[in-house]
Amino acid sequence: MRTFKHNMRGMSTLPVLLTVAAVIALFLLPNFVESTYALHIMILIFLSVIMGLGWNILGGYTGQYSVGHAAYFGVGAYTTIILMQYRHIAPWYGVWAGVVVAVIIGLIIGSICFRLRGPYFVLASIAVAEIFRVTALNLKNLTNGAEGILITDIPPFKIGDVIITDFMSKVPFYYIGLVILLIAVFVTWMLQNSKLGYYFQAIREDQDAAHSLGINLTVYKNVALSFSVVFTSLAGSIYGLYVGFIDPSTVLALDLSVQIVMTCIIGGIGTIFGPVIGAVVLVPFSEALRSNMIAQAIIDSGLVSENSGFGFFLKEQLSHAHVLIYGILLVVVILYMPDGILGFMRKKISAKRRKEAL
Amino acid sequence: MAILEIKHVSKFFGGLAANSDVSFEMVSGMIMGLIGPNGAGKTTLFNCITGYYPPSRGEILFDGHRMNGLNPDAVCKLGMARTWQKVRPLAKMSVVDNVMVGALCRTNSLKKARVAAMEKIQVVGLENRVKFLAGSLPIGERKKLEVARVLATQPKLLLLDEVMGGLNPAESEEIIQLILDIKNLGITQMVIEHDMKAIMRISDRIVVLNSGEKLAEGNPQEIVSNKAVVDAYLGGE
Repeated sequence: MRTFKHNMRGMSTLPVLLTVAAVIALFLLPNFVESTYALHIMILIFLSVIMGLGWNILGGYTGQYSVGHAAYFGVGAYTTIILMQYRHIAPWYGVWAGVVVAVIIGLIIGSICFRLRGPYFVLASIAVAEIFRVTALNLKNLTNGAEGILITDIPPFKIGDVIITDFMSKVPFYYIGLVILLIAVFVTWMLQNSKLGYYFQAIREDQDAAHSLGINLTVYKNVALSFSVVFTSLAGSIYGLYVGFIDPSTVLALDLSVQIVMTCIIGGIGTIFGPVIGAVVLVPFSEALRSNMIAQAIIDSGLVSENSGFGFFLKEQLSHAHVLIYGILLVVVILYMPDGILGFMRKKISAKRRKEAL
Repeated sequence: MAILEIKHVSKFFGGLAANSDVSFEMVSGMIMGLIGPNGAGKTTLFNCITGYYPPSRGEILFDGHRMNGLNPDAVCKLGMARTWQKVRPLAKMSVVDNVMVGALCRTNSLKKARVAAMEKIQVVGLENRVKFLAGSLPIGERKKLEVARVLATQPKLLLLDEVMGGLNPAESEEIIQLILDIKNLGITQMVIEHDMKAIMRISDRIVVLNSGEKLAEGNPQEIVSNKAVVDAYLGGE
């Protein structure tokens, strides 16, 4: 009875307890972990989850597959950092300015692109994001073009005269990322259990049927987009502040848009924890690829000789080939786990329960 | 009192007239049968009435509102709902969630929507399918789901596009009963149907379309004895 399985979205006690335990562990983690590299990976995972959850509201729940979310990521990052660097507006205001600008831009793009359906919408979303990238490359007065913007320093965050943090270590970013991630999870959960969530899913399943049931398609698609843009833009701003450098080829790249979508597809589209799982798998994997860890491991295992042609390829080229490997991974996931890792696990668990019931 | 007035409605696709100069009225509480051979323009007329196409000419009045140029969602909010010839279940949502989407047209509370949805599910008799995915239902139950979903939007006027298409005689009988039950709830209905026996049984009045034009209008007895109608269906001699 596959039928029942999909509807068991109601939470039982064990997963709730596990989630609470995981959250507490995450809050305590920086007290125990000394390694800045581990914190770095965690921050990247958090940002990836936030982006994934943001995309998921529009793509997963509402069925509008945007492959141009880098535009909102980039707009958020650029707004915050330009305001901070050239206008000396503190980032904790700038971040919200970034959100506002990104949402306004999103609504303009949305009111145009949402006239298109299916693959045409996907293509339009890619084209729009590319327009932003090229614009950022050429608007040198504002964005410093291809050279990008290097952050000199972030002003310390004060409440009254007490300095809460001076952003000198990774820890504040860790907590900022974690809190926004939790907010994103909460918002998604609220949406899923609200009229909006029902309307979003109705639009995903059949736009014409949804329209005839009194759902104003333009309005609700734009509402979904706005939620989506808020989180994507926040992730962009924090990324920019954290890394300390932005340029069009990192924060406005097509690569990034694809990566956001991949996180969701691999984890499981249209679920709360899909993007979480997707990010937990993808981010360490891509870091391992880039830092040549995987290539070294393969060579060390003795499977491939370092001096052979293939060994040379692994060592010299694999780190540049992450996009290729993403592609292969995506094909494998779509072939064998069309509902993502989460859907795959749910299916396995229900199959096991069925066996036990017999 | 006329709940729906169709006044000289025409719809052109390029040079092709899918509807030309169609006029009729519907009285509150009645069942109007809409029949005609394939390509007669029945579904086009439905689409014009429910806001999917703006009529090229003419005027549609529903409950005193001029409908021309309204979008389908606004039409639904005014109290006119339709089903589709090809069923459109929200496949990956459960039966109750499907009906709740309809009910949410009138309320913002999920709780109220769920209560309303369960009520409509009982009207159509899908009580033991509540948690099933809509996509897993067989065609007969999908048609019922479709009816439950539009009922949940609390329509004054319901437009049913071939709800019996593709059903076996037993299932058709259930739908006929359902349509009569809905009439007893006080909801006005316009029904497109190819099954002549069924349409004669349920309709208070029938409009016959042929090649986009209104060929005849009358009660079922008048229609079966109308020579022009018989010619259109059986071919002229």
